[in-house]
Amino acid sequence: MNERIAKLKSNLQLESFPLCIEKFKLITQSLEETEGQPEILRRAKSLARVLDKITIFIEDGELIVGNAASKPMGLEIDHDYGPWSEEEIASLKDEGYTISAEEEAELKVLNSYYKGKSLVGRMGEVLYEDERLWPFMQSGVLFPPWKSREEGSGGGYAQGGLGLAPGFYLMGVDFAKVLNEGLQKIIAEAKEELKVLKFTSANAVKKCYFLKAVIIVLEAIIRFAHRFANLAKEMAAEEANSLRRKELERIAETCLRVLAYPARTFYEALQSFWFIFLLITPSPTAAAGRFDQYMYPFYKRDIEEGRLNDEEALELLQCLRIKDMQLNRISGKLNRQKNEGMAKWHNWTIGGLTPEAEDGTNELSYLILEAAKRCPTPHHTITVRVHEGTPEDFMLKALEVVKTGIGMPAFIGDKSYIEYFIRNGVPLQEARDYIVTGCLDANLPAQSRTASIAMFIVPRVFEITMHNGVDPHTGKQLGPRTGEVEQFTCFDEFMAAFKEQLAYFMRLNAERNNIELCAMKELLPDPVRSSLMSDAIKEGRDVLDRVMPFENGAVMNPVGMINVADSLAAVRKLVFEEKKITMKQLKEALAANWEGEYVEMRQMCLKAPKYGNDDDYVDLIARELYQYWAEVTGTFDTALGGKHLPTAISITAHGPGGALTGATPNGRFAGDVLADGTMSPMRGMDLNGPTAVIKSALKINQDPYQATLLNLKFHPSALKTTEDLRKLSCLIRTYFELGGKHLQFNVVDKETLLDAQKHPENHRDLIVRVAGYSAYFIKLGRAVQDEIIKRTEHQLTV
Amino acid sequence: MIESHNTKGLIFNVQYYSIHDGPGIRTTVFMKGCPLKCLWCQNPESQRLQREIFFELEKCTGCGICVQACSEGAIELFEGRSRTNRKKCSGTGRCAEVCPVEARKIMGRSVTAKEVFEEVARDALFYQRSGGGVTLSGGEPLAQPRFAVSVLKLCKDAGIHTTVDTCGYASWDTVQQVLSYADLVLYDFKHIDPAEHKRYTGVSNELILDNARKIYHELAIPMLARVPIIPTYNDSADNIKATTQFISSELGKNIKVHLLPYHRLGETKYERLEKMDLAVLIEPPAEEQMLALQEIVQSFGLEAVLGG
Repeated sequence: MNERIAKLKSNLQLESFPLCIEKFKLITQSLEETEGQPEILRRAKSLARVLDKITIFIEDGELIVGNAASKPMGLEIDHDYGPWSEEEIASLKDEGYTISAEEEAELKVLNSYYKGKSLVGRMGEVLYEDERLWPFMQSGVLFPPWKSREEGSGGGYAQGGLGLAPGFYLMGVDFAKVLNEGLQKIIAEAKEELKVLKFTSANAVKKCYFLKAVIIVLEAIIRFAHRFANLAKEMAAEEANSLRRKELERIAETCLRVLAYPARTFYEALQSFWFIFLLITPSPTAAAGRFDQYMYPFYKRDIEEGRLNDEEALELLQCLRIKDMQLNRISGKLNRQKNEGMAKWHNWTIGGLTPEAEDGTNELSYLILEAAKRCPTPHHTITVRVHEGTPEDFMLKALEVVKTGIGMPAFIGDKSYIEYFIRNGVPLQEARDYIVTGCLDANLPAQSRTASIAMFIVPRVFEITMHNGVDPHTGKQLGPRTGEVEQFTCFDEFMAAFKEQLAYFMRLNAERNNIELCAMKELLPDPVRSSLMSDAIKEGRDVLDRVMPFENGAVMNPVGMINVADSLAAVRKLVFEEKKITMKQLKEALAANWEGEYVEMRQMCLKAPKYGNDDDYVDLIARELYQYWAEVTGTFDTALGGKHLPTAISITAHGPGGALTGATPNGRFAGDVLADGTMSPMRGMDLNGPTAVIKSALKINQDPYQATLLNLKFHPSALKTTEDLRKLSCLIRTYFELGGKHLQFNVVDKETLLDAQKHPENHRDLIVRVAGYSAYFIKLGRAVQDEIIKRTEHQLTV
Repeated sequence: MIESHNTKGLIFNVQYYSIHDGPGIRTTVFMKGCPLKCLWCQNPESQRLQREIFFELEKCTGCGICVQACSEGAIELFEGRSRTNRKKCSGTGRCAEVCPVEARKIMGRSVTAKEVFEEVARDALFYQRSGGGVTLSGGEPLAQPRFAVSVLKLCKDAGIHTTVDTCGYASWDTVQQVLSYADLVLYDFKHIDPAEHKRYTGVSNELILDNARKIYHELAIPMLARVPIIPTYNDSADNIKATTQFISSELGKNIKVHLLPYHRLGETKYERLEKMDLAVLIEPPAEEQMLALQEIVQSFGLEAVLGG
C-alpha cells in the first residue's frame, strides 16, 4: 500500500457515518413535478435530477472519481422500500449514525409523500388482507417477519450509490458494451428505434416510453461525468502541487470523454466502469461480472504500448477498492440482523473458462488479487472461478490472499455452476460465461436477473410439523394438519408430514415472491440497468417487464436445512429405531428447552449422527431434503415468466432465524444460531476434519442450485507454507471436480477473535468472512461474532 | 510376521486432512504405547498401551453418575467433582458412556487392522489427487508391530502411499518387518548425545542411530528427519550441529530435515490425564531461534524446513 492508498484508506475509518437526504429530496421534487406521467419517465427524470444537481466532490489524492453520496462516506436515505419511521431513525442514531435536526424534520415531511407508494406499501396492499399470507408474513418462516402493513419488516435502506437500483437484484449489466462502444451509441440506437417505431400494439407505446426514458438517463449520466470534468478543471487551476495538478487535469480530460465514447486506455475504462457502477448501485448486490475478462484488452494494450506498468495498474485497482468502500449501506433494524456489518455483495468474478472453453486467467486476474492483498478492505469481494485448467500458480496466489485472513477470495467450481445452466436449457458456450451476482448466485451477464430472494427458515417448519401445523410460539394454526406426531409409527410417516408442511410453506413463499415481483415491476422500473441488458433497445422494455434469455426471476432459498437434517436423524434413530425416547418425551424436552430432567436426553440427541462427518445415516437425509426442495421449487411459476429456481445461501439469516426458532432435536437450544451457509455442518458438530465435511457436502446434488455455500475455518497453522497451500488447493479442486459449488475460508485464530470482542478498539481492521461477504468483525452483532468463533476450526496438531 | 485383517491394535486418534506428516493430504493414525518417556511429551495420552480416561474437570458437575457406573470402584467424588484413581482404572470406559456432560472421554480405541484401513480408505480420493496417503504415528507404531504391518499391507495393497513416523527404538527385526511396507519413514532425532538422550527420554540412542543407518542404507527407504526443538533440552546449536552432522555424513545429504518447534497444546492433556506432576512448563522457541537453527542445518548442505 503506497502513501496515496494509505491516506485514502484511512479516510474510510470514521467514528460515525452521516445520513444524507439530498438524493431523497431531489427525487421527491422531481416526482412531484411529474405526477401523472408514465412511471418509467418519472423515474428517468428523477434520476436525471439527481445526476444534474447532487453535490459532487473529488477527494484529495483520488484518481478514480465519482462520489457515492452527497457527503463523504455518507448514506443517502432511500425512499423506494418504504418510509423511515422515527423509531428507525432513532435506532440508527443510537448506533452512531448522524443526521442534523433540520434534516430529520425535513425527512419527516418527505416521508409523508410516500405513504403507500413504496414497495412495501404496495406489497402490503395484497398481503395484509389475505388470511393465508398475512399470518405467514408475520410468522418468521420467512425472515425477517413483517411488523405492519405500512412498514413491512421495518424500515428501508440508507446507502451509497446514485442509481434507481435499491433492490436485491442479482444481475450483471453489459459493462463491456459501455467500455467498448460508449453510451452515445446506445442513445443513438434508441433514437433510431424511436424513429421507426410503429404504434400497432400496446407494447409499442410501452416501448416508446422506455426508449425515451433510456435517452433521458443516459444523457444525464454523460452530463454527470462532465460535471466531474469541470470540477477537476477548476480544482486543477487552483492546485499548487504540480503533480496533483497533472492528475486533476487527467481526471478532467478523462471525464470529458468517458461514458459518451469508447474507453481508450485502462484508466479510462476504470473511470467509465466506476460511473456505471455508481448507477447500478445502491443495490447491495451490484455485480462487476467478469472484470478480468472485459478489462483485459485495455490493460494489455496499455502495457504493450508502454502507457502503463503493473505498479500503476495496481494503484488504480486499489483506488477502486477504496471507491467501493465508500458505498456504505444500512437497513432497518430487522433487516440489519439479516445482513450484518454493513453487508453488501459487490462481487468481482475472476478466472474460469471462457466461452470457447479456454482458461480465462490472465495477468489482470493476478493483479486483482494482489490489490486485495495490498489494500485489505472487506469490499469489493472477489470470487475465483475454478476449473480443471485453472493454473496452480493462480490457486496459490488466491490462497495467499486467503491466508491474510480477509476471507476472500471465495472459490467456486465451474463444473457444477455450468451444469446448472445446461440443465435449464442454456447453450454451453453461454453457460461458460456465467458470473457471480450477490454473494454466490450465478447469472448470465446481460442475459438474466434474479429479482426476488427470500430467507426461508426451514427449522420453523420443522417445529410447526411437530405441532400438527400449529405454530408453537403463537398457538395459531399456520400449516395444514399433517397428524399428531405422537401417533406416527414409523419415520417415513414423520418425513412425509414434514415434506407436506414444507411444500405448503414453500408455496406461500412463492406467492409472496410474485407479489413482490409485481410491485417491483410496477414501482421500480430502472432504465439504466435495463438499457445495459442484451437486446435492450430492440426489446424496448424494462428488465422486470420482459422475459430474459435465461429466466430465473425468483429463487427459493432454505436456511437451516442442515439443522433439520440433523434433527430428522436424531428422531429417526432415537424415537423410531432404537426407541430410546418417545415422541411425547421429545416434545416435552423441546418445550422445556432441554432444561431440568432433559439434560441427558439432549446428550443422546447431540450424539446422534450429524451432517459433516461423512456419515451416510444423516448425509442421505440432507441429500433428500435438498433434492426435495429443488423439485418442489421447480413447480412454482414466477410472475416474470418461467419457474422458480432453487438456491442455497444464508447470508446471516441463520442468526436471527435461529433466534425465532425453538429448541430442535439436534440438541440445539431455543434461540441458538442455526448452521451457517447451506452446505456447512452445524458448528462444532463436524469432528473428522475438512475432508469429511467435503465428502458429506458432495452427497448433496448441488447441480440444480443456483448457488450453495460452504464455509471452512482454518487455524493459521494450516496455511503456513506453499506446500500447505498446494494441499488446500487440491482439496478445493477435488470438491469442485466432484460436484461441489463453493468454498470459502476464515483463517484467523480463536484467540484473536476473542480478543477483538474484549478490545474492539485494537481490532478495527480485523476482517472475517460472514456468508457471501466479508465484514469488519467488530461491526458484527454479538451472536454472529460468537457463531464465527464457534465454527469448527480445522487445526492440524493433536 | 503374521499379518491379518483381524489383528487388533490400540489407537487413540485418526486425524484426517493431516498435512504435516508426509507428502500430500494424509490420514494419520495415532497408535497408543511408546517405549520412550520424553520429558516434554506433547501427546502424553499416547504413552501407555492401554485405554485411559481423559477428564475435563471444568465440565464435571459432580453428579456422581460415573461413580455408580464404574465396576472397578476407581471413581470417587472430591470437592464437588469426580476424581479417578488411575491405579484402579483399567479403562473400561463405562464412565465416559454415562457422563451426561461429556466431561469424561475414553482415550484409546481397540480396532482391527481392517477397521482402521476402512477409516483410512474413506479419504482415498484426496490421496490420489494430492499424492498423499496414510501415516502411522503415535505413540510409537513399532510398539504394535503386527498391527502396524497389517494396516500398512492393507493400505499398500489398495494403492495407498504409506508413511511411518517412528522414534526408531525397536529391535532390528521389528523395524525391518514393519518398514518393509513403508514408502517413507519420518525418523525422529531427539538428542544426539547418548547420555542426554537417556536422561530425557529414558533410553539411550545407540539402537536408534544404528537402526537409522540400516533403514537408510540396507532397506533404502526414503527418509525425512524430524527434530523436535525443545528449549533448554535439545535446542543448543551444538546439538543441532551434531545431529545434522550425523544425518549428512552417516545417512545422506538428500535427507530433508524438519525442525519442529515445541508447542504447548499438550499442556492441558496432562491435566486431563490427572498427571500434572509429570507436566513440564516449557516456553516454545522464538521464531529467530528457529531460523538460526535452520541455518545451521542448511550450512551442511541439507534442506531444512521449519514445522511439519
